[in-house]
Amino acid sequence: MFESSTFGKTIDILHKGMDVAVLRRQVISDNIANADVPNFKRSTINFEASLKKALESEKLEPLLPMTTTDPQHIKSFAPSDYRLVEPRRVLDYLTTAKNNGNNVDAEQEMMDSLTNQLSYTLQAQAVNFEFNQVNLVLRG
Amino acid sequence: MGLFTSINIAASGLAAERLRSDVIADNIANASTTRTPEGGPFKRSRVILRPMNAQPYFRLPFQPESLDSGAGQGVRVASIEKDESPARLVYDPTHPDAIKTGPKVGYVEMPNVNIVTEMVDLIAASRAYEANSTMADGSKAMFMKALEIGR
Repeated sequence: MFESSTFGKTIDILHKGMDVAVLRRQVISDNIANADVPNFKRSTINFEASLKKALESEKLEPLLPMTTTDPQHIKSFAPSDYRLVEPRRVLDYLTTAKNNGNNVDAEQEMMDSLTNQLSYTLQAQAVNFEFNQVNLVLRG
Repeated sequence: MGLFTSINIAASGLAAERLRSDVIADNIANASTTRTPEGGPFKRSRVILRPMNAQPYFRLPFQPESLDSGAGQGVRVASIEKDESPARLVYDPTHPDAIKTGPKVGYVEMPNVNIVTEMVDLIAASRAYEANSTMADGSKAMFMKALEIGR
């Protein structure tokens, strides 16, 4: 119903963003819970950069447009679909911050969790705003 | 990835840190215990913590799916182990547990508990407990916001 509208796309992206915020919070909680475990390495979530790249690729024009005569031909240019962007978990396996081989920095993790929490709240508020707009229209 | 996973992870951290401070309290309470059922002075215990699901053995930034055990699920207590370092010797021939024969005659074997070390560990455990409880609080605040969608 809303797939092609701005509303549908906004809700879709916010939905994905909130899902990623929950996953990121899980990873940060795990880092903090394991802050004293020997040889534990912290993990992070990469998502926003890939999403931005996918959204920007929609506006890009091919430098050299080429026609494909068969659907199986490799296209010279294809914008990436933002719906296919998945969060990626990265293990920070190279650094060591403490003598026990652990690299969790409690301050850093608390700051990350705060940023993540605020971004989740912001996105929840944005979803709320979108629904309020629709409500406004429906009520006339 | 569930809504309450982050709260469960924080809870696992809280349980582990609480156990750590319990063990530290036991060590401090027994700082001068010279007689134990297993014989000899009291030996300090320490808590060994492990991640709930094992981290990959091969350290790669992106795990192949077959080697990946998923996002971390929190922390668990692997074991509580005795510290087998030598006992502290205090000269006190009148003590009932003083060594009667041999070169160390007159010395009492006191527990290998160092109060300063225990206090430092206690502060570390208490701060880690606070960090975990902050995470649980924050998760709660986040999900309360999500419940307000559509109000």
